[in-house]
Amino acid sequence: MSKPTVGIFGLTGCAGDQLVILNCEDQLLDIVALVDIRDFLMASSEKFGDSPLDIALVEGAVLTRRDADRLRAIRQRSKTLIALGTCAVWGGVAAMDRGADRARLLEEVYGDHGKEYDSQPAQALHEIVKVDLNITGCPIEKDQFLGAVAALLNGDAPLYPEYPVCTECRMRENNCLLIERGEICCGPITVAGCNARCPQLRVPCVGCRGPASDANTASALEMFAQKGFDRQQIAVRLRTFAPEGVAQ
Amino acid sequence: MSTIVIEHLARVEGHGGITVELEGDTVTKVHFDVFEGARLLEPLLKGKRYDEVAPILSRICAICSSAHCLTSLKATENAFGIRVSPQTEMLRELIFRGESIESHALHLFLLALPDYLNYPSAIALSADKPAAVLLGLRLKKLGNLIQEVIGGRAIHPVNALLGGFGRVPAVDQLIAMRSSLLQAMADSDTVIDLIASLPATDFCHSDTLYAALRSPNLDTYYMGDEAMVVSNGNRAIVPAADYRSLTNEQSVPHSNAKHSTFQGNPFMVGSLARLTVNPRRLTGKLAVAMKRLKLTLPSDNPMDNNKAQALELINDVERALEIIERLLRDGVRDERAMPVHARAGTGTAITEAPRGLLIHSYTYDEEGRILAADVITPTALNAASIEQHFRRAVEQCADRDEAVLSRRLQMIARAYDPCISCSVHLVRKG
Repeated sequence: MSKPTVGIFGLTGCAGDQLVILNCEDQLLDIVALVDIRDFLMASSEKFGDSPLDIALVEGAVLTRRDADRLRAIRQRSKTLIALGTCAVWGGVAAMDRGADRARLLEEVYGDHGKEYDSQPAQALHEIVKVDLNITGCPIEKDQFLGAVAALLNGDAPLYPEYPVCTECRMRENNCLLIERGEICCGPITVAGCNARCPQLRVPCVGCRGPASDANTASALEMFAQKGFDRQQIAVRLRTFAPEGVAQ
Repeated sequence: MSTIVIEHLARVEGHGGITVELEGDTVTKVHFDVFEGARLLEPLLKGKRYDEVAPILSRICAICSSAHCLTSLKATENAFGIRVSPQTEMLRELIFRGESIESHALHLFLLALPDYLNYPSAIALSADKPAAVLLGLRLKKLGNLIQEVIGGRAIHPVNALLGGFGRVPAVDQLIAMRSSLLQAMADSDTVIDLIASLPATDFCHSDTLYAALRSPNLDTYYMGDEAMVVSNGNRAIVPAADYRSLTNEQSVPHSNAKHSTFQGNPFMVGSLARLTVNPRRLTGKLAVAMKRLKLTLPSDNPMDNNKAQALELINDVERALEIIERLLRDGVRDERAMPVHARAGTGTAITEAPRGLLIHSYTYDEEGRILAADVITPTALNAASIEQHFRRAVEQCADRDEAVLSRRLQMIARAYDPCISCSVHLVRKG
């Protein structure tokens, strides 16, 4: 059987999810031997034109017309398109306040030149094209990426938890930062998969993986209110990595 | 008129390109095009509480996320008058060293090395020279291990907080890092041999201005209160509070990165600048390695930044090992982060990220909410210098062969190790 053709792409973001791939130091050379990498600009200057891809891994959010055009072109040439990381899946930090007046923000940073820039409010990939699989995280967890590679190479779809970080945190028997220490921890409504990375370190969850579909949001909000947190303040915080209205 | 266009620069972080136009023998236009989308994180930050700032701004860039996080914490601590413990300072330096090891190893072995040996990627190179690629991956992994253990995550650290750390490292974690560091010490001669064996890159000479933090103390060169600008024979000191005299940024239409000059001249930041400003670091093993690399300072060749990174890589390993030995000898106290009492005011921090000077400056209101945020990144500071060196390379290429020039320009861009995601984050207007 011929090796699957793979492209790895970055739109606007920090390149952290591509860096997680390069950070698989022990597996990288084995992985690249099992697939045929046709496009990986961050790591290779090799050019194959726009050849068809079995799998496209795309990180970053769409913030420019150029991003949107590239994404559509990637979609066109790919059988399976995977959104890699919170920016691609949810919009990420650049999408935190999508209602803000873009022209004013640009003017504030660039002055009059602001008008000339190709710039639009951040969008997640699925708001522009069909996405076949989401691997969230800011950045993605290495284990989840490697699990996805193994599953896809065997023709399976990887499965990811839908429950919140709290579930993993309890399994690690951590003291609850929200209930016991009264800290604003986004664990109750943030999707698991990080093995409660932050609360394990006594650090509150900031919600970098985006919302959990299987979370009891009403009860979490009530808990925040009981602890005396302002509802508006909580809402803004919860939207730092995944803005309102980007439902999957 | 002839034009050389490199549409999308490969083997760098982010989205950038190069455009050069010639009329006859005259270079009429040289652009380092940055078309990374503007995420506008600085104005979006307004109104955020102090504890949200570092986690958001570390997202400016993955490769330098630890530097962004720690510089952010330092700027907020300066605004609130928080002084962290010596142990916290030591652990933070360890993260800086870990990030520098990871970043330099990634750049030297996976991004720059393929250029010198005529391969499109380290992946392709690994088929013929597996030992070189594996050496790079091993060092990269070490840098990530340090960031993972101390910072809680290799990219976008979570364990470094205002006033200290969530959890301090355990003894067995320190021992694991020590054993990887000892392995890296044993590898350091191989690193220098490899870099010394590369073909000479002698196609761009230029009087260059260098800017870096002046180290008050050789151990903690990554933080300081004043930057020094050095050119041939001249030097100027810029106190942290006057950072804007180094960063009088100008918007340019072809780039989402603003350009900085010092007294009208472009300047270079990064490894080569740090060694030029702080030559006293180059003693013992480093002095010997420098001779083997045939590096003399100040250099007129921007490609020497790759040699400087190799020297720093070795120095970072030595220093990280020293810190860990000290922590193991003295013991690590289970300190909690210092309490934070917000107050109105401005705080600025200047540090050395792997690619050079990094500045965060914030103004807070009395409740500890952001009124204004400035972030000035090394690649933004380097943008004008990159263009100057492109110009010199074109002028100094006798036959102006397009393929040769295209390759040289890309090698110069990569020698700066540009971080283009970073470059579009900049000072607010006015």
